[in-house]
Amino acid sequence: MPERTMEAPHGGTGNDAPGAATPPVAVGPELARAFRDVLPADLVITDEVGRRSYECDGLTGFRQIPALVVLPRDADEVAACVRVCARHGVPFVARGAGTGLSGGAMPVADGVVISLQKLRRILEIDVENRRAVLEPGVYNLEISKAAAPYGLYYAPDPSSQQVCTIGGNVAENSGGAHCLKYGFTTNHVLEMEVVLADGSVVTLGGPTGEQAGPDLRGLFIGSEGTLGICTKVTVRLLQTPETVRTVLADFPSIEAAGDTVGDIVDAAIIPAAVEMMDSLSMEASEAATGAGLTVDAPAALIIELDGPADEVEAEFSHLTAICERHGATRMHVPAEAEERQKVWKGRKAAFAAVGRISPDYIVQDGVVPRTRLAEVLTRIAEMGRDAGLRVANVFHAGDGNLHPLVLYSEAAGEHDAAEKLSTDIAELCVELGGSLSGEHGIGTDKACSMPRMFSSDDLAVMHRVRHAFDPDDRCNPGKVFPTPRLCGERPGPYRPHPLEEAGVIERL
Amino acid sequence: MTTHPTPGPTLDFSSERGEKPAPERADLLGGAGPSEFGSFDAHHPPAQELLDDCVHCGFCLPTCPTYALWGEEMDSPRGRIYLMEMAEKGEIPLEGSFTTHIDRCLGCMACVTACPSGVQYDRLLEATRPQIERNVPRSRSDRWFREAIFALFPYKRRLRAASLGGALYQRLRPKSMDKLLARVPERFGRLVAMESLLPPVSVRDAFRRMPERTPGIGPRRGRVGLLTGCVQDVFFHPVNEATARVLAAEGWDVIAPREQACCGALGLHAGREAEAIERAKKLIAVFERAQVDTIATNVAGCGSSMKEYGELLADDPEWAERAAAFAAKVRDISEVVDETLADARARRHPIEARVVYHDACHLGHAQKIRSEPRRVLRAIPGVELLELPEAEICCGSAGIYNMLQPQAASDLGHRKAGNIRGTGADLLVTANPGCLLQIRKYLGADLPMLHPIQLVDASIRGVRPPEMG
Amino acid sequence: MTDTITPRSLDELRDAVIDRPGTIRIAGAGTAHDWAGTPEPADTVLDTTGLSGIVTHNPGDMTVEVWAGTPFGALQTDLGEHHQRVAVDPARAAEGATLGGLFATADAGPRSLQYGSLRDLVIGATIVLADGTVARSGGHVIKNVAGYDLTKLLHGAQGTLGVLARLVLRLHPTPQVTATVAASCERSAMAGLARRVADSPVEPTAVEWHAGRLLSLLEGSESGAEARARRLAEILGSDAAVLAPDDATQAWEAHAAAVRARSDDRAVFRFGVTPSELPRVLDALESATGVTASPRTGVATVALPADADVVATAHRRVAEAGGTSTLRQRPAGAALPAFGPAPASATVLRAVAASLDPDQRFGRGRLAPWLPLPDQTGQPTGVSA
Repeated sequence: MPERTMEAPHGGTGNDAPGAATPPVAVGPELARAFRDVLPADLVITDEVGRRSYECDGLTGFRQIPALVVLPRDADEVAACVRVCARHGVPFVARGAGTGLSGGAMPVADGVVISLQKLRRILEIDVENRRAVLEPGVYNLEISKAAAPYGLYYAPDPSSQQVCTIGGNVAENSGGAHCLKYGFTTNHVLEMEVVLADGSVVTLGGPTGEQAGPDLRGLFIGSEGTLGICTKVTVRLLQTPETVRTVLADFPSIEAAGDTVGDIVDAAIIPAAVEMMDSLSMEASEAATGAGLTVDAPAALIIELDGPADEVEAEFSHLTAICERHGATRMHVPAEAEERQKVWKGRKAAFAAVGRISPDYIVQDGVVPRTRLAEVLTRIAEMGRDAGLRVANVFHAGDGNLHPLVLYSEAAGEHDAAEKLSTDIAELCVELGGSLSGEHGIGTDKACSMPRMFSSDDLAVMHRVRHAFDPDDRCNPGKVFPTPRLCGERPGPYRPHPLEEAGVIERL
Repeated sequence: MTTHPTPGPTLDFSSERGEKPAPERADLLGGAGPSEFGSFDAHHPPAQELLDDCVHCGFCLPTCPTYALWGEEMDSPRGRIYLMEMAEKGEIPLEGSFTTHIDRCLGCMACVTACPSGVQYDRLLEATRPQIERNVPRSRSDRWFREAIFALFPYKRRLRAASLGGALYQRLRPKSMDKLLARVPERFGRLVAMESLLPPVSVRDAFRRMPERTPGIGPRRGRVGLLTGCVQDVFFHPVNEATARVLAAEGWDVIAPREQACCGALGLHAGREAEAIERAKKLIAVFERAQVDTIATNVAGCGSSMKEYGELLADDPEWAERAAAFAAKVRDISEVVDETLADARARRHPIEARVVYHDACHLGHAQKIRSEPRRVLRAIPGVELLELPEAEICCGSAGIYNMLQPQAASDLGHRKAGNIRGTGADLLVTANPGCLLQIRKYLGADLPMLHPIQLVDASIRGVRPPEMG
Repeated sequence: MTDTITPRSLDELRDAVIDRPGTIRIAGAGTAHDWAGTPEPADTVLDTTGLSGIVTHNPGDMTVEVWAGTPFGALQTDLGEHHQRVAVDPARAAEGATLGGLFATADAGPRSLQYGSLRDLVIGATIVLADGTVARSGGHVIKNVAGYDLTKLLHGAQGTLGVLARLVLRLHPTPQVTATVAASCERSAMAGLARRVADSPVEPTAVEWHAGRLLSLLEGSESGAEARARRLAEILGSDAAVLAPDDATQAWEAHAAAVRARSDDRAVFRFGVTPSELPRVLDALESATGVTASPRTGVATVALPADADVVATAHRRVAEAGGTSTLRQRPAGAALPAFGPAPASATVLRAVAASLDPDQRFGRGRLAPWLPLPDQTGQPTGVSA
């Protein structure tokens, strides 16, 4: 690995980062008037109570009162709002349902929140071509509901799918329990209409996977609202599988559950989903949903297979045999779709349900190579013990995406310790060759950890690309990239990736 | 790392929007400065522990009717809880925006169903509304209108008189009236809404009384006290009759005390706590005298408030225990009938119909009674039960909401009617008079509508269900 | 005078980019040297074939990091020992195409119906920019949303914007069995027939029309895939049959050969439109021969006369149908338009190119006219700082 001696044109962590450089801008009645020229007056929210309602998203630890909130009703109005921002030199943040867990939709100081909650129309379900054309505010689950009568569905299914919007999914490149087999938002979005920072409208992607020129669509997806606002999305729909078989299997230990996952992968079975929950998260979820989880089992796996009937049946018996071999203490196979939904509800409600067993908690989101799951879980347990805090674990075991939930009590003064533990866990994931985030995004929350995963050159290049789209840092500034304002003048140093240190890594 | 809320830019848009600036907090609190309860007074403000339960996940948003309509954070359960928190910290006054957004809540409790964290929004709302009623002066016309509603609806006698006028009015009402009303300025919208909600009722039905005692048939299962209700008894008297017949046919003695009055649900859900408490006490006393095993109601809203009498009267040493005992006996009619299904006495005759069941919010969300009415309906041979898209979203009736917030109620009514039409059902059933009135208004004569118990009654008696011709 | 340099490490690659002034044409195995826009003469040819081999393969994690100059076929052979594969099957892999070359040209084969293209399988990359900056994005885990997915920018960049040094890919298990169902079918009937395949529950990995037959590929377990193939053949009726293994291999090889066929007087034109538009667009390309078409993805490869007007008309026709098209091969010396009318997003492309390679050192001409040539009056300035 060469030494990094090149002078980066833009110091990604330097003083030219957004947030620090944004000069104070005059906002007030004049700006409000400008928006009222393009929107009905009641869709421009100026009163304090209204603005404060938008001061945070699903991550309440970070708050910032916006100067204004606007609620455009269609793509033209979104573009008009962005143009008003451009004219007045005001930054803006697009907001879907505000369910993000990384503070990605937190407003910018003196900025405008552009809510997309009035753009909720499903514009087309194209059965012949198996695609749907959507406005960004359409709830993820609504897509599958609308497609269901035609035997089709939309594959990415984040746990918050009943409320998160497709626009937010595009911004975060959302995954979900079933992305192990089916991939992420980026694998399912074909085409997008995007409003750029200057208010111009472009289309990224095309009607097929076939590409002419660089994949700008792929770059935009997952850029967390920093490259523009998408106002129309065309997604692929898949045929509803002929058969779905699910097993909820309890295990005597986390290790046994982890080994089971390893053996499933080795058996060349690609389940639609493999989810693991530990006893703490099951206790919470069971209290909330009554899904039928065994609260005193140390670990459980929810494994789902889908596909052609014969194949699924054969793989399913292979699968249950693997579970048995690893000492599964109970295997519950839901017979009907309704019962299966109940099991899934138990899994998907887990984050929010943890509120029932702890006054406060932090949802973490990190990824390790799947083969290092046992190691990371042991380390997390140790770190939790050292910090004197409980950590519940819910995760997508198939792809190594962890969601440790750090439980604490604000009232007992445990907040700072919990924050630190949570951050340490995310950075541990990077140390083990993984990532800071598998699906929740970097947002505000993890921007300061980015230098743990990327060198200043890496970040500088991302910054260059960002400026190609948005030269004046108007789209969701202050997110994704570390800024002095957020992280202090010296964010944590970049630690070379183990792979880079060794050239080759020994993992197994 | 957590940042604390950064103060936003100091802006004054108030003159722009023609809004009255909110009074200084000191004025609001009588010059005492922020109290321990922030902008709330000390009488049962929303409890901090209950507010803390909300983790801001947003799972409630899609099921909230006002969020479905407007997509504004302040008009969502999560947003309203956030406002309560700000008020609790004394950061915003109750008057103005806070009251507007709390007033706009239908109290449908769909969010309680949707919430994975177990937030008791019902309790938060019931703690907040009386605070507004006590501490926020309402405009004269608003005050007048609310008083008018509460001077009319909970009183059977007054309702009967109104129904007499209404029946006459509906008969004589010139067709041109619709056009005329359409031109009424918006500020009279509430009156127009009230007008159009008057149900078509025959004078005979309105003045019918329930027999005080209907003996059960065959071996007795026990004594059921029947809440006859105020609106229900006047405008939906046949539902009460059907209820008594079904209960009797299944072996219950049915007691319908003459002296019973309104259960206070309408007032309770609108934040008129003192009034609700008085009504609750009276009703408890009446049913104590009746010496019943079970208290049944066929009105979702009444059942939900009667089941809460224990909490409502918890502070009153004389009544707390009596209220809890009363509440423990309260059952929705579908619960009572569902329990007898395993051992049903009355034979059900077939009714061939595609039936769509609308979950009344106060039944489905507030009381979590969803499967019981469905089981009761499926027990009727020939009935094909259809599910409604957006079933969790309120029809817009919500107690007196459709009179207080006519525009929102109308938008929701149209939305519900559209979904109902889409099912292609022959018949709509729902267990709340408010829903029936509201849906009838937007569905028109498209579809016969009944209370589920009327369908059961028709099946037991082997007759065509009323309205199905 | 063009100079060729063959770096053998990331250091050498970076040094080559920094030390050589002027323009650089990136070359792998040369299997797509005549694709997309005609490259301007370059000062240096950067041969990536010296950057070859697997960096790290973790079978348990189903990921592999590979040098960009690795021949794709060799990679698949190595992975095959672990019963794993990169689930794409571009036709020119058989000619020795490198992974980086396939990536830069956004090439994909029939299995894209199920697995997408390399963009859908890449999870990280190391790239070198024109100013010598070495940048990494993504990582070694399948699920990762940290930072921009810069890797995607190089997919389809045709050797512009930057040089790929290493790619990290997600892997899939090699199926135990592949079976093929062939149904004879006129081109005009392929859409309807393919719809029947798609609506059946057999979940084909690929559905392709070529030479009067619709080929459906079924992959999976030993019993499963064959059973599904029989089931499909039954569904499709008397004109369909499960091919014997040798016949199946031959059928797919013939398909791939048609896709990569070169001729002295014809250009190869590749396009994608919504599947329902595909028959109409194909019909409109009257002079098209050697058609292979994927009626469920809407992608087709055809040969057209090497005539600028014909090719331009074809681009226009595809654009009118809302699709995208690229010129894949042009006979030596033929000046043919590489792309259709520039979309509105070309402004973004230009801005991105200006930020990553302001002097257009890499692959100048390959994306023209969407990425116009720099002003010819000034000489390129070499390394930008």
